[in-house]
Amino acid sequence: MPLKKVIETKKISRIFKNGDIEVHALTDIDLVIEEGEFVAIMGASGSGKSTFLNILGCLDQPTSGDYYLDGVHVNKLSKNQLADIRNQKIGFIFQSYNLLSRTTALENVELPLVYDRTGRFSNSKELATKALGEVGLEDRIYHKTNELSGGQQQRVAIARALVNEPALILSDEATGNLDSKTSIEVADLFVRLNNEGKTILMITHEPEIAQFAKRMIYMRDGRILTDEIIKDRSTKESALKDLELTTEPKE
Amino acid sequence: MKQTLKILKVAFQAINKNRTRSILTMLGIIIGVAAVIMTISAGEGATMQVQNQISGLGTNLLMIQTKSEHKAGINVRMGKPIYKKDFEILQKNAIYMPNLSPLLAIGAQAIGPDGYKSTMVYGVSYDYFYITSREIQLGSFFSDEDVKTARKFCVIGQTIREELFPGQDPIGKQIRIDKVPFTVVGLLKEEGSGGMGQDMDDIVLAPYTTIQNRIFGNRKRGYNMILASALSEDHIVDAKIEATELLRESHKIKANDEDDFEIMTQIELQEITSNITGILTLLLGAIASISLIVGGIGIMNIMLVSVTERTREIGTRLAIGARESDILTQFLIEAVVLSLAGGVLGVVLGVIGNQIIYKATNFYIPTAAYSILIGFGFATLVGIVFGYFPARKAAKLNPIDALRYE
Ligand SMILES: Nc1ncnc2c1ncn2[C@@H]1O[C@H](COP(=O)(O)OP(=O)(O)OP(=O)(O)O)[C@@H](O)[C@H]1O
Ligand SMILES: [Mg+2]
Repeated sequence: MPLKKVIETKKISRIFKNGDIEVHALTDIDLVIEEGEFVAIMGASGSGKSTFLNILGCLDQPTSGDYYLDGVHVNKLSKNQLADIRNQKIGFIFQSYNLLSRTTALENVELPLVYDRTGRFSNSKELATKALGEVGLEDRIYHKTNELSGGQQQRVAIARALVNEPALILSDEATGNLDSKTSIEVADLFVRLNNEGKTILMITHEPEIAQFAKRMIYMRDGRILTDEIIKDRSTKESALKDLELTTEPKE
Repeated sequence: MKQTLKILKVAFQAINKNRTRSILTMLGIIIGVAAVIMTISAGEGATMQVQNQISGLGTNLLMIQTKSEHKAGINVRMGKPIYKKDFEILQKNAIYMPNLSPLLAIGAQAIGPDGYKSTMVYGVSYDYFYITSREIQLGSFFSDEDVKTARKFCVIGQTIREELFPGQDPIGKQIRIDKVPFTVVGLLKEEGSGGMGQDMDDIVLAPYTTIQNRIFGNRKRGYNMILASALSEDHIVDAKIEATELLRESHKIKANDEDDFEIMTQIELQEITSNITGILTLLLGAIASISLIVGGIGIMNIMLVSVTERTREIGTRLAIGARESDILTQFLIEAVVLSLAGGVLGVVLGVIGNQIIYKATNFYIPTAAYSILIGFGFATLVGIVFGYFPARKAAKLNPIDALRYE
C-alpha cells in the first residue's frame, strides 16, 4: 500500500506586493511529503522558509499554484473551512510562542478545543493536562505564561499544537529562542512524536537540530535547492555528547 | 449553540484576564453616562423650579409697570412712573381685577435684637396676600385698616426669622428698617428658592403706605409696579384690556400714541421664563454632549490602544482554528458586557450624584428619564462600536498578518 501524501504542492508561488515593489518570496515549489515523515527545512534568512510553512499551515494563501493537504484541494476552501482545517489537521509552533498572556498553561493548551466543532473531544481539561504531561510540564499546569521560562513556554505551545491530535505538525524555528540543551530536548520531543506517527516539518537554522530529522530540504531565493535523506540522524544522547565536547574545554 | 456557550466563556475569561483594560473601558463609559445624566437633570431641575415658582404666584396674576427698555444692559425707564393716582383709578373702576396692590421695593437692612440681614422690603396692600397666594405660618397678615392708617407692622419670611430671631417666636417683636421700628405681626410659610436663585423667604412685607410715608418721606416716588389678579383665569385678557384702557386714560395718552407702561400676565411671564430655561437646558445639553464626546473619545482611546495586543491575540486564535464568527462573537460579547456594566454603573453613579447635590445644596434634581436613555444609549453604543469594529477588521485578516500586526 503506497503511503498517503500528507502534503502535495504544485508550482506554488507567493508574491508580496508593497506598492510598486514586488517580492517573489516563493517561486514554483513542487513538494510531496508523505505520512510519517520528519522534514527539516533550512536556508538563509529571507529564502522563503516561513512563507512556505505559513502556506502549508493554511495561515496564508499562495499567489499561484495548487496545494493539496491530505488530498483536499486547499485553494478551493472557504475561510471557515480553512479555519477548521487549521483546527483539526495542523499543529503550528511559532518561534515567538504566540501564547495568550496572563493566561494559564492549561487554558492556553485548551484553546484549540474551544474552536473544535467536530465534537470528537469530550473533556478538554483532561486532554490539555495530558498534552502538558507529554511535554513534561505536568507540574506547571496552573502557571501563567509570564511565569514560565522561554523553554517552558515553547513546550506549552507544543502541547497546544498536539492537543487536537493533528496529523501534521509545523514548526517555524521552535528552538530559535532556546539554549542548546533545551533545543535538543525539544528536537527529541519531535522525534518521539514522529515515532508515534505524526508527520513533522520544522524550520531551523541550527544544523545540530536539523540532524534529528529524517529528511532535509534546503531553500534559497524562494526555491528548493536540495532535498535529501539524512543518513546519520542525531539522537538526544549523541547530541548532548557533542554539546559537551564543544563547550567543555576551557582555556 | 454549544459553540456560542464556549465563546461566552472565552469572552468572560478575556474580560477577567485584562482587568485593567476592562476597568478603564468601563470607567470611560461610567463617567460619560453619569455626566450626561447629571447635567441634563440639573437643567431639568432648574426649569421645573422656575416653573413651580411662577405658577406658585397664582395663574391670574398681572403685573403693571412703567415701560422700560434695555439699553446697554441697563433697564431704562421710558414712560411716566405709576403713581398713587393711577392705582386709585384702577381700584375704583376695575371690574375684572378684584384684587390690586401697589409694590414698592427697597433693599434695606433689617435689624433685630439678635442679628441683622440685608434684604428686600416690599410695601404692599392687604390684597397682595390674595394675589400671590402666600400663606401665613404664625400670627397674621396686616389688615386693610393697618394699611389705611399706615401702621408700622410687618410680615417676615423664614430666612429673616432665622437671622434675626434664631429659635424664637418673632410675633410681637420689633425690627428696624432704615431706622424705623416695625412690629412683626406675621411669619410667612416657607416657599423655597425662586427660579432665578433668589430666596423667596428672604423678604419683609409692610403696608405700602408706611413704606411711602416713613421711608421715602416727602420724596415723590412712583410704584415699582402694581400687582393685580384677574377674576379668573378666563378673564386675564379682559383684565389686561381693562387695565390698559384705564391707565391710558389716567396717563392721558392720545389715541395713536403707544402705551408708556407694560402689563405682563402670568402666562406671558411663564412663556418668557420657559424661553430662558429652554436656553439653559440647551446650554446644559451642550455641556452634556461635550462630556459625552470626551467620554466617547476616552473609550475609543482605550479600545484603540489595545488593538495591537488584541490583533495578535486574534491572530493566535485564528491560527489555531478559530473561525471569523468565533472571534466576532467573543468581541461582541466583551464589548456588550463591558458597555452595559459600565452603563448601569454610570446610571447608578448619576442618580447618586444627583442625590448628593440635593443633600448638599438643597437644589432638588429629579433624574430625568430621558437623560438616562441618552447617556446610557450613547455610551454603550460607543463602547460596543469601538470594541467590536477594530476586532472585526482584525478577524478579516489573514491569520499570519494578524499575528505580525504592529
Ligand atoms: N508580509 C510580507 N510583505 C512583504 N514581504 C514579505 C512579507 N513576508 C515575507 N516577505 C519577504 O519574503 C521573503 C521571504 O521571507 P521569509 O520570512 O519567508 O524568510 P525566511 O526564510 O523565513 O527568513 P528567516 O530565516 O529570517 O526567518 C523575504 O524577502 C521577506 O522580506
Ligand atoms: Mg522565518
